[in-house]
Amino acid sequence: MARISLWKDGRHSNDYKFIDRRISEMFTMGGTGILIHKYLGTHEQSDSTDPTKPAYTNQSELNIQDLLFVENRDRKYDPDIYKMRGIYQRQDTDFDLSQFGLFLQTGTIFMTFHINDMMDTIGRKLMAGDVLELEHLKDYHALNQDVPAALKRFYVIGDASFASEGFSPTWWPHLWRVKINPLVDSQEYKDILKTIVDGTADTKTADIMSSYGVYMNINNAVVAQAEKDVPLSGYDTSHIYLQPDYSGITTDDVKDTADDVTHSADDSTLSPSVKPAGYLVGDGVAPNGLDCGVGIEFPSNVANGEYFLRTDYLPNRLFRYNGKRWAAVEEKIRANLTLGSNNKTLRSTFVNNANTFTDIEGNTQPERQSLSKALKIQADN
Amino acid sequence: MAQQFFYDNQVRRFITQFMRIVSGFQVEFGQGANGQRTLQQVPVIYGDPSRQASVILKQNSENMMNSVPAIAVYVSALDYDRERMQDPTFVSTINIRERAYDPVTGNYLPAPGDSYSIDRLMPVPYKLTIKVDIWTSNTEQKLQLWEQMATLFNPSIELQSTDNIVDWGSLTAVELKSTIWDSRTIPANADESISILTMQFEMPIWISSPAKVKRLGVITRVINSVYDGNGDLSLDAISGTTMMGRRATIFKDYYLSYMGNQLRIVNKNQLQYVFNGDFSKIDRWSDLITGYGDLRSGISEVRLRHPNGVSETVGTVAPHPTDESILLYSPNIDTLPANSIKAITAIIDPMTVNVDQMSLLTPSIGTRYLILNSIGSYNNSEAAEAWNANHPEFVANRNDIIEYTNNGWAVSFDAENSQAYQFVTNLTTGAQYKWDYQNTEWVKSVEGMYEPQDWSIVL
Repeated sequence: MARISLWKDGRHSNDYKFIDRRISEMFTMGGTGILIHKYLGTHEQSDSTDPTKPAYTNQSELNIQDLLFVENRDRKYDPDIYKMRGIYQRQDTDFDLSQFGLFLQTGTIFMTFHINDMMDTIGRKLMAGDVLELEHLKDYHALNQDVPAALKRFYVIGDASFASEGFSPTWWPHLWRVKINPLVDSQEYKDILKTIVDGTADTKTADIMSSYGVYMNINNAVVAQAEKDVPLSGYDTSHIYLQPDYSGITTDDVKDTADDVTHSADDSTLSPSVKPAGYLVGDGVAPNGLDCGVGIEFPSNVANGEYFLRTDYLPNRLFRYNGKRWAAVEEKIRANLTLGSNNKTLRSTFVNNANTFTDIEGNTQPERQSLSKALKIQADN
Repeated sequence: MAQQFFYDNQVRRFITQFMRIVSGFQVEFGQGANGQRTLQQVPVIYGDPSRQASVILKQNSENMMNSVPAIAVYVSALDYDRERMQDPTFVSTINIRERAYDPVTGNYLPAPGDSYSIDRLMPVPYKLTIKVDIWTSNTEQKLQLWEQMATLFNPSIELQSTDNIVDWGSLTAVELKSTIWDSRTIPANADESISILTMQFEMPIWISSPAKVKRLGVITRVINSVYDGNGDLSLDAISGTTMMGRRATIFKDYYLSYMGNQLRIVNKNQLQYVFNGDFSKIDRWSDLITGYGDLRSGISEVRLRHPNGVSETVGTVAPHPTDESILLYSPNIDTLPANSIKAITAIIDPMTVNVDQMSLLTPSIGTRYLILNSIGSYNNSEAAEAWNANHPEFVANRNDIIEYTNNGWAVSFDAENSQAYQFVTNLTTGAQYKWDYQNTEWVKSVEGMYEPQDWSIVL
């Protein structure tokens, strides 16, 4: 009589199959519904010429997008959603208040899946990068009643391995244990969060469930207040009244009409000849709110004391006509401080530069080029 | 009693401006489902939020997802900067004249407005340390953000909390002091913490007390220092002729004509017209005052310095309703010169006086007249009959003041022999007159032509 042995020399015995079917049935009866977004690999980076960032033509979860940093950033997920049953131990949760908002302190959970069901369903074992939606944790009661859909609970798998409790007396494993963490709205998961429509046809999951929108609103409000406090660099002197300059006025300067017969050349009122001195006060605006022409050449028929801003100078230069010449008064050096195209600081002219030039062969070239690429030979095709 | 509350959001403004500096950066995502690369701006938030507000931002739900990448800014230290301390008692005063402001339109006008004097107490130096935490989900993202921010600080960038030119503590510089590349350790082992790059910045800032803002009265006369360049008492300070040399620094070359209740300014080049009685060619007040402020009816003052050198008449002015070359002057009676002679009953011309109506023959004791022509003469053997009832040989000269006494008329003030300015009030009109011993004439006490250095205006 052969000795009783549940280990069958590496074969999956009927004992194993019997136990496996019972376990599968247990998951069917007692497991919770899990929706799985299967990781397929990374999106094809067809414009890459960098060997460390291969432009894979065969999309596969085996591909590594960045061979230098060994990371997959632009992940591609199966548009089909797979349904499985999983089991995990519920526990109370607390929030950690961090500099980036609230995080679930006990957010990491361990969930087990039936291996053979998993293979039948998605064709492979669950792996790091697969995204799970726990249907039973859907939150129908967001604080904002206008949110057009219930808030779903997404997790992403961090690690996966055989569950110790999933080994039967046959010593074969039946369960796959995954360590899952709350999903964040990051580059890696845009394929899911920016694809799934929630609530309305135009609303994506990320629009509803990500903190990005509210954080950007907060950021914009802060910048708006900063721009209100300091619209331009330097100091605002436009509200300061300056004494008009009477010096050097001749009879030609009289601008009075016949109604002002009581006035002589000596009492003509002209504009101030100077503006307040100081650090970064040049705003290119005539003092005392006087009219100021703007252009790339001086006007003719100009009266003494008139101001004119020449925009062909960089920085733009403010002039005043004193009867003999256009005297330079100041340069318009106050600039917008918010980073962007309106920022005209020296650095910004290098960074925010959309200018182009035409080379000798008639090709249009961008002015802004990375130093590592500037003047390098280009392919003709 | 508690001290008055003040709070000017000074550190808040520095933080706001700092967050502006690190705002607007973007990261580039690789080609997505549509084959296109996309850019995403990175939000910047304050890194020490309240728990309650954070719960609201999370929709009071466990399911809201945090967004990556993100930048958090927070204060890690605020220390007194002993090395930058300066005289704590120093007070800086600046004077500024604003353009006129139209409260209806909310715009400044091309005309002079209020002028202010601003006293600023030495602000207190502090060193503000701010940390910037950059949360990224992959290394490439981190490098993208770092490279853009790294070129911004070389090693520092200027920052202003306001653009107010009187705020001397608004300007500072943000200097990058250190960078911690990653909050995680290598090897990571089982740790799945998020990756945070930390940049630490320092800002030398100034915290100011409230300023003293006062309405500025225009100083139109400057008293020179009584000391010379060697520190000795200047001769000007003790010389009788150049006593405390004055400078009409604003209205130089302008005389002031005071007649009746009217003030006119007369340029020295226009004096010839005025002496000929022609006031049509003189300047308007607005031409002179423009640049120094607004004339405020009933508030602005004109000060007239008397030739006696010790008194000054102060009065308020108001614009003439139709003539811009005239200001209507209302002197403060308390500032008029004190009478040096007992008040007179009236001013009379003895040559044309109606004897019957003047009761000259039976005046009450103490009646005093200022006479515009002489009475009697020592060269005339016959006395003036009307004046000599009890004083057969009464003689008084032109400009004298005579008084009726128990012994008849007598000369009370002998103008011919007076060698000083005298002031007397005419009880009939209430007007005060001044005896100008240099020009040997009676004139209204404060009326006349004032030289540039003898008058001033406080707007």
